[in-house]
Amino acid sequence: MKRQPPLSRRTFIKLTATVAAGAALASCSPRQSPATPTDAASAGIKPTLPPSPTSGSVPAGTSPSTPDQANPTETSANPEPSATTSPAYLAVVHGPDPAAITRAAIEALGGMAAFVSAGYDVIIKPNICTDYHPPEYATTTNPTVVGTLVTMCLEAGARRVRVMDYPFGGTATSAYATSGIGDAVEAAGGEMHVMIPSKYKFVDIPQGRDITKVQIYPDILETDLLINVPIAKDHGSTRLTLGGKNLMGVILDRGMMHLNLDQRIADLTSLVRPPLTVIDAVRILTANGPTGGDLSDVRQLDTVIASRDVVAADAYATTLFGLTGSDIGYIQASADMGLGTMDLASINIQEINLG
Amino acid sequence: MSWKSWRRLRQAVQILSFISYIVLIFAVVQKRVAPALVDIFFRLDPFSALGAMLASRQWIAKFALALVTVGATLIIGRVWCGWICPLGSLLEWVSFKKARKRAMAISPHWRLVKYFLLATSLALALFGGLTLLVFDPIAIITRTLTTAILPGLFYAVNSVETVLYPVSFLSPALDGFEGVVRGTVIPVEQPAFSQNLAIAALFFGLIALNLLANRFWCRYLCPLGALLGLLSKVALFRPVIGTACTQCTRCAVVCKPGAIDTDPEDFHIMPSECTVCLDCMANCKPGDIRFRLRLKPAQIEEFDISRRQALGALASGAAGVLLLGTDLRLRQDNPWRIRPPGVPEEDTFLATCIRCSQCMKICPTTALQPALTQAGMAGLWTPLVVPRVGYCDYGCTACGQVCPSGAIPLLTLDKKRTMVIGKASIDRNRCLPWASGMQCIVCEEMCPTPQKAIRLEEAEVIDSSGRTSTVKRPSVLRDLCIGCGICEHYCPLEGDAAIRVYDA
Repeated sequence: MKRQPPLSRRTFIKLTATVAAGAALASCSPRQSPATPTDAASAGIKPTLPPSPTSGSVPAGTSPSTPDQANPTETSANPEPSATTSPAYLAVVHGPDPAAITRAAIEALGGMAAFVSAGYDVIIKPNICTDYHPPEYATTTNPTVVGTLVTMCLEAGARRVRVMDYPFGGTATSAYATSGIGDAVEAAGGEMHVMIPSKYKFVDIPQGRDITKVQIYPDILETDLLINVPIAKDHGSTRLTLGGKNLMGVILDRGMMHLNLDQRIADLTSLVRPPLTVIDAVRILTANGPTGGDLSDVRQLDTVIASRDVVAADAYATTLFGLTGSDIGYIQASADMGLGTMDLASINIQEINLG
Repeated sequence: MSWKSWRRLRQAVQILSFISYIVLIFAVVQKRVAPALVDIFFRLDPFSALGAMLASRQWIAKFALALVTVGATLIIGRVWCGWICPLGSLLEWVSFKKARKRAMAISPHWRLVKYFLLATSLALALFGGLTLLVFDPIAIITRTLTTAILPGLFYAVNSVETVLYPVSFLSPALDGFEGVVRGTVIPVEQPAFSQNLAIAALFFGLIALNLLANRFWCRYLCPLGALLGLLSKVALFRPVIGTACTQCTRCAVVCKPGAIDTDPEDFHIMPSECTVCLDCMANCKPGDIRFRLRLKPAQIEEFDISRRQALGALASGAAGVLLLGTDLRLRQDNPWRIRPPGVPEEDTFLATCIRCSQCMKICPTTALQPALTQAGMAGLWTPLVVPRVGYCDYGCTACGQVCPSGAIPLLTLDKKRTMVIGKASIDRNRCLPWASGMQCIVCEEMCPTPQKAIRLEEAEVIDSSGRTSTVKRPSVLRDLCIGCGICEHYCPLEGDAAIRVYDA
């Protein structure tokens, strides 16, 4: 008197086959076309319509000295830096309160409402490179700057604000904790997101000059708004790590990037095209970066730089170190690709002092 | 309370204990901070405790908890085995129908093996060797979970996700799942360990032995069970069959460890083999098996270790120490024998490390790998830093926090950052800027010391197209290098890195 098993072998195999076939079908059919920069741009940039110097295709090989810098001056109504009348192309704000200067910088660009519409899903990408040091060491982005941006996005009606990075030293969770960003973001109502290795996918870089494919975290390309929030600091191979370099946190294989770092960062920038870059220069690291660890290498500048143009923001930030944009290979390479301008004289810069 | 309810209580305790063991296992997978008492199962383990204290010749305060187990055993017998031990519980739950019949064909003399293993292990420890602690039951199950089962589980989750993520309508659900588990239960980095197959084979082999007899490992092999068994012989309360016994052998049928001697002349329960599971009491028809106060030691069983055998075990231990100690791999300086931060002398380390593998599990970068022969056979399954697999995180002191024996010292972060675990050196024949005139210097970028331990010098090179360009070439400042290995880990060269950390 053998008990009949609840499922006969045949039924079991049939069921399994059906489910497998269903799964196979499902995984084939709704696959989206690989995200291209135009997708990313239309997803991220269109509603905000920045006075981009790069809209439209730029012929390859445009010389940096004669770029399409007519665009920014044309699009900004008033080329003179004036504090209130028109949105700035680039805002530089000084002041002792990181929250206040972050707010002022975004206001100068036209306010967060120019970037965030109701229901937006926002990603903020700070530099959380290691779990080694607290924020005073200027190795990771200032937590107050990040927290303030989270608050502003939510105030502007964002549905969700996620903050993420993929540290090279320590784990994401430990680095989120040490950097103080975890606490600041959660207090502001945002969420810290741990980037999931199995989610990365290969995406073509149509404009890429050296690399034409990269394994990238898809959320970065699919989000409604990406805010790139680097900290300005010293870096061995590129001299400075700023907005362009900060984007390396969204890809998996960084070893290969180093083989031709400057051009490859520019290629990556052409794919990601962050619609808003906010450079934290509350404290900057002047030597032994990007890892830091020596307080005597840290300088307190109480400054935040913001722009829709990552190249311009980076170029301005180099001046804090006594350099210019052309001193930094990836800024030059990005400008060469027409991803932005590093000619600071040609753009509307608003400098605000909150004393 | 009837014996049946007591047995229910035992089963509940067993399940609770197993669950808490598993929870504690997951609590410290690739984390930087360990909660207190996360190593409690090791600290309750008198076999590891005694071994480590004998070999390192010191009182190890963390192991004071093992006295609780010893005390409980001296009162009522091997409650540890029947109520607490996670491996024991697992072996009790995995039972095969024919095992009882097959066990009757096995001579009870095989039970001696565990006493011999215990005696040899302790003799080895007495002479300073802890190699045989690899057979500690808690270490066996923890090591298997660490190196084989958890990585397999995480790999399964990651693989399924990789397949499912492209299905767009599933991604919100997957994101929700990920948001809960990633970084908390499932680590971001997929762990992988050397010798995972061998370690898993030992574990599943032990489980497969259950085909031959219920709780085969506990009956015949477990050195911890042997130690507690010896203590049970003098326990205050021992299970005793009363005069109402009809020798129906119902108790012997249900007894998982086979602790009932059914010889009609001498029908009795052997306290040293009894795991206090209460099954016999709950099943006794006349209801006449109960605990009785006994002050005299229990009778000697035919398989108990004799004086001659004990001396033999002692001699084997001594011989083992001599053989292991003259292993060339141990005597020679081995550049890949890189120990976790703060570990002092190799000899002291080998005499203190209980091979529990908790450090390997908590290491956030999975830098710690089980040794095979890098430290001689004496160092089997002790932790080694393998920088190409993972670096020693400059912001982390986790291994010292979970080490139950203090073989890896508990260090403050400041102190740990000064601990030199090795020294990096560059192979200029392979390093891209040196050998190929290419830009790279990932090593310098990664170097975590406040003053970089890698110096860059600029040099003019002629590249493949004949153009002159400037590259930065790295070299190591030996006095600043702490050997954390992050340079080796991230060196973008294929295969072996061009910068490697050597034991220093």
